Amino acid sequence: MNSPSLERHAERFLAALGFPLTTWTRLVLCVGGAMISYVLLVLSSFPEYSVQMVSANIGYLDDAIVELTANSYATAGPVGLGLIVSYAMLTGIAITNVANRVKRVGVAESGGLSSAVPGFLAAGCASCGAGILGFLGFAGALALLPFHGNLLRVGGLLLLVGYLARVGDPRYCTVVPDSGVEQ
Amino acid sequence: MDLPDSLTRRRAMVAGVGSVVAGSGIVYGASTLESDQTVSRTAPVHVSSETTGLGVDLQGHAIMGSLDAPIDMYYWSDYQCPFCRRFERNAFPKLIENHVRSGTVRVVFIEFPYLGSSSMTAAVLDRCVWRQVRNSSPQAYWRWHSTLFEKQERGNSEWISKENLFDIASNIDGIDASAVESCASQHRPDIKQSIARDMDQASQFGIQATPAFVLYNRDADAAGKIIGAQPYERFDEAITRVQNT
Repeated sequence: MNSPSLERHAERFLAALGFPLTTWTRLVLCVGGAMISYVLLVLSSFPEYSVQMVSANIGYLDDAIVELTANSYATAGPVGLGLIVSYAMLTGIAITNVANRVKRVGVAESGGLSSAVPGFLAAGCASCGAGILGFLGFAGALALLPFHGNLLRVGGLLLLVGYLARVGDPRYCTVVPDSGVEQ
Repeated sequence: MDLPDSLTRRRAMVAGVGSVVAGSGIVYGASTLESDQTVSRTAPVHVSSETTGLGVDLQGHAIMGSLDAPIDMYYWSDYQCPFCRRFERNAFPKLIENHVRSGTVRVVFIEFPYLGSSSMTAAVLDRCVWRQVRNSSPQAYWRWHSTLFEKQERGNSEWISKENLFDIASNIDGIDASAVESCASQHRPDIKQSIARDMDQASQFGIQATPAFVLYNRDADAAGKIIGAQPYERFDEAITRVQNT
């Protein structure tokens, strides 16, 4: 990737980051998406515990979130927890972005969706903790991963950054000098 | 790129302040999690060679509480697991006080070392400590077990090195650290195999992470599973349910 291209991607990434701030509705959608993402990510770090707690009484939901936040901090450290928070925030931005694209051009025409959905799934799985790996039959796998899974979390985060850098602000098309118009 | 207008800046500020408030709430909640209680509550520790109706071989495992208690609580843990430490500090003292000392529940300690090689080192030493103290001073096992969780630090760091674990053992009344050391050097392969069998059995119960518990009513042959460091009330309810089946 040459320097002007990198610069263009950086500009589009910044435009994507700023997009939820353009209306109050988008901001609410973004914050809501980020909060739901965070809750899902943290609960998925120990799924069986989360399911038992919440199914016993929905009132235990806040306990489970706080307990598993503390557990994520203790196992993955401040960097690991920071990556989970960053991933949740970027997911909120991406959800707002995708919702706007769908609203404008419809699901069929929204080319960005084809990269958003696999991006969400891959990044979500990359950001998960020991619990979901254990749930899938890989107990202890996270302990064997480099930097206690933080490298995997960085990978997930990069996927989302790549997605946002590709789509930018969904209200505008980007004019690329050599190849015409790209959505 | 255009500079953001004042309304956009205001929204950014609202989002920023909201994030700080939400983050502070979670951090405050997390800081209040640890109970002031220490793990000083205890009950008599016993030895048994029976195999329970659920197929758990008690040979090699410390059992806290009366051997005649009607409910077994199998407790799988890893000394590096912070969630196990949470259980040890919060729900466990109340369980000991209200259910173990009263003769309703007996707790069987089983190692599930899944958080790296240091976890296995600690699990092997745990078995050696139990072998060394079970006949002469079984209560020393509880002192070792609770001290390790009290001293727990970041995973796979210096605190769980073999040398430091021997050092901890040597400072606990009733444990002969040199005997533990010679047990670990002579019997490590056998003990590792035995621990692997325990882990296989735990997997058959659907256990993949710690702390994990199976409550088993031996007379009724009924069991229930609890996963994670849940509040004491959840254990209390589960014990009542298993007891009444």
